[in-house]
Amino acid sequence: MSFSAWNLAEIDEMELEEMGATASIHLIQEGVQSHAWRITTGRVREADAFLGRFKDQHRSARSDLKLDPEVLRPEGEDEEIVEGESEVKGFMAGPMVRLFAFAKPWHRLMVLGFLLTLASTATSLIAPWLTMALVDNVLIPLQSATEEVHVNQVYKFMAQLAGAGVLTWVLNWARTFVVARLAERVTSRMRRETFEHLQRLSLTYFNRKRTGDLISRIGSDTDHISLFLSVNFIEFICDVLQCVFLAVILFWINPLLAVAAMGPAPLVGWLVSKVRGHLRGGFAAASRAWSAMNSVLSDTIPGVRVVKAFAQEQREIERFRATDKHIFDTNDRVNRMWSFFTPMIELLTDVGLLVVWAAGAWSVAHHHITVGVLTGFVLYIQKLYGRVESMSKFVAAAQRASASAHRVFEILDVKPDMPVNQGMRKVGRLRGEIDFKGVKFRHGSRQVIKGIDLKIAPGEMIGLVGPSGAGKTTLVNLACRFFDVSEGSIWVDGLDLRELDVEDYRKNLGLVLQEPYLFYGTIAENIAYGKPKATKGEIIAAARAARAHDFIMRTVDGYDSMVGERGHQLSGGERQRISIARALLIDPAILILDEATSSVDTETEREIQAALDYLVKGRTTIAIAHRLGTLRRANRLIVMEDGRIVETGTHDQLLNQSGTYARLHEAMMEVTSQ
Amino acid sequence: MNPAVDILIDSDGRLVFIDETGTRHENVRPARMFPLTDPEGWISLQSPSGEEVGFIENAKTLTRVQQVALSDAFAKRDFVPVVRSIDRISRASDGHLWHVTTDRGPTIFRIETDESIQQLGANRLVIIDDHNTRYLIPDIDKLDVESRRRLERYY
Repeated sequence: MSFSAWNLAEIDEMELEEMGATASIHLIQEGVQSHAWRITTGRVREADAFLGRFKDQHRSARSDLKLDPEVLRPEGEDEEIVEGESEVKGFMAGPMVRLFAFAKPWHRLMVLGFLLTLASTATSLIAPWLTMALVDNVLIPLQSATEEVHVNQVYKFMAQLAGAGVLTWVLNWARTFVVARLAERVTSRMRRETFEHLQRLSLTYFNRKRTGDLISRIGSDTDHISLFLSVNFIEFICDVLQCVFLAVILFWINPLLAVAAMGPAPLVGWLVSKVRGHLRGGFAAASRAWSAMNSVLSDTIPGVRVVKAFAQEQREIERFRATDKHIFDTNDRVNRMWSFFTPMIELLTDVGLLVVWAAGAWSVAHHHITVGVLTGFVLYIQKLYGRVESMSKFVAAAQRASASAHRVFEILDVKPDMPVNQGMRKVGRLRGEIDFKGVKFRHGSRQVIKGIDLKIAPGEMIGLVGPSGAGKTTLVNLACRFFDVSEGSIWVDGLDLRELDVEDYRKNLGLVLQEPYLFYGTIAENIAYGKPKATKGEIIAAARAARAHDFIMRTVDGYDSMVGERGHQLSGGERQRISIARALLIDPAILILDEATSSVDTETEREIQAALDYLVKGRTTIAIAHRLGTLRRANRLIVMEDGRIVETGTHDQLLNQSGTYARLHEAMMEVTSQ
Repeated sequence: MNPAVDILIDSDGRLVFIDETGTRHENVRPARMFPLTDPEGWISLQSPSGEEVGFIENAKTLTRVQQVALSDAFAKRDFVPVVRSIDRISRASDGHLWHVTTDRGPTIFRIETDESIQQLGANRLVIIDDHNTRYLIPDIDKLDVESRRRLERYY
């Protein structure tokens, strides 16, 4: 397909995003998604090929126009974007070059590794050289008995061969250790930096990405890179050095034989260049296929209760089978190419060896060379061909590592849409005054908040109510600065939120969500999550205030009890009270309660409500609740609808207005009475 | 500790707690709030119905007699052997058999999965056997080399 009908210069990029059993192709124009096409995973291979063709034409169109990537960068983008400049540079320089930039801090180790490689490669070539002399000066005279050979000469050669072997072993040992350590350091840095970068990205990025895919990139992709650096790359360097040394030796021994031996080289070079591109595409597809499988697993395993409750085991098995088949297909495609390529290289080297034997036999017959020289030559040429075969395997390893590095760099290239903290205004303990001034927020193409003006006094509790989709959670997300406003501004204690150091600001925030997230660890660790240096006394005091102490003491190990992954060993109410204790411990100036009592029964709600009553005292509180009774302590109720504030007042005032609140209240009463 | 507060064993061998108001709570049950990370500190004293009637921040501040009364009460209900060495780990049909020497003597227990070994802090481990008995390794680094090597294969 030709993309000539498209105005490629106006397109930023086209990307494929796999989402379990389906995938989407997104066309990004002027920083926003202009089109999207959904496909099934069965068509991903075709989509890959389509994207490959598009990217080729897109790149050439952009370079033809000599476009400055800066010009193409969208302005005012509200989501993280892959930097156009980095992407172009990244492509030109290649992920491998960027990968080696990660090794810069350990350049001494790199030099040492290189010197050891050089030395070990050189010593590995001593043995064939000694063999030549052994055959000509000892073995042939011994066999033909033409001249007397002293047995000491045999011992001397044996000792030299053994010495060369031991030296090569020691150098190889040192080289392997140095290079493996270097590789581990590089990949460890890469993993750390990628994870640290992920921590800086906003929720928007995580909303768009699949957990399994991100885990796969930081886990398996960096592992591929580590293997490549520690094994394949260093082997390749050895191979290249050996080939150079061997070529010099071979030409020095006999140029005619050397030329004959080099016969297959151009054909090998041509084959490598043909197969390289196909392998890279194949490995990239394989990495994506693994990500898709990780995504299915990270979906199904935590959601196993839902799967079982709805008796959807078979469906999940089918879903897993589909991703597994995708992995099989992509690997099979690479293997088809690979299985042809390696034996073909072997065949070509066998042909080369045949030519050497033929030319060598002719040379010995015409007394141009001795049998010893031919023996040494054959040993060297076998080594050379061995290296060529090994180098051909490097092609696959390099392409796999390159594809993996590209996937890791894709994360590192994402520019955080939230500004980095450096140079931002530091704040200590805030009073908690919040002022939303003409706040608007757009998520993609959708205007979620359409103009909010709201001032909250320090220590005031406001209740946000409204139908689902009214923008309540988005508004608190903006107050937490998980996103930045598209228009307008939010002021805290008279300071523009965008000017504040995000980390400092969030130390003033306490968050209690509908689904409290507990981390794998003990109850004490979870309570102290926001204040890791809290004393045991502080942890206990927070738990008591959150009405969590009694149930904690009923567990076998008290505060040392493990809560299991995501706190699944506790009930919903218990998890919520631990999350309230967590919020209490940091003593926040501003408290956000997002449906904190929605997912529990009435009895538990009463317990949580008592804990919350203690928590909200003296703090600016924004509470979202569908159960309107939980907002009884609110100073004001703010009713939102369709991204706007439609009513404000107390419970009684709003009921008298007979508006949205009254409607919601009536609906709730009906549900309660049924 | 407030001098008015007292802990003693009554004639029936039950633990009695007298709080700062002089109220006598009989048959109280001590419970460690941090039994694995701080067994000497933060002890909750609970009524037979499970209600907390008082707590002790640091058992070392108690008199010798009070400490003995408390430790006797604990000895009746708490059992968390401290692993001194791991002598052998063998594969069983449904998990692994751990042959260990503990502060309560040598024993063999079975664990079913890797999740039965839980980390508490940097070097502290708790191993939960198939009968839910907990074995504590307070500091991995203090185990002998052979024990550490055996542990390494499973954790």
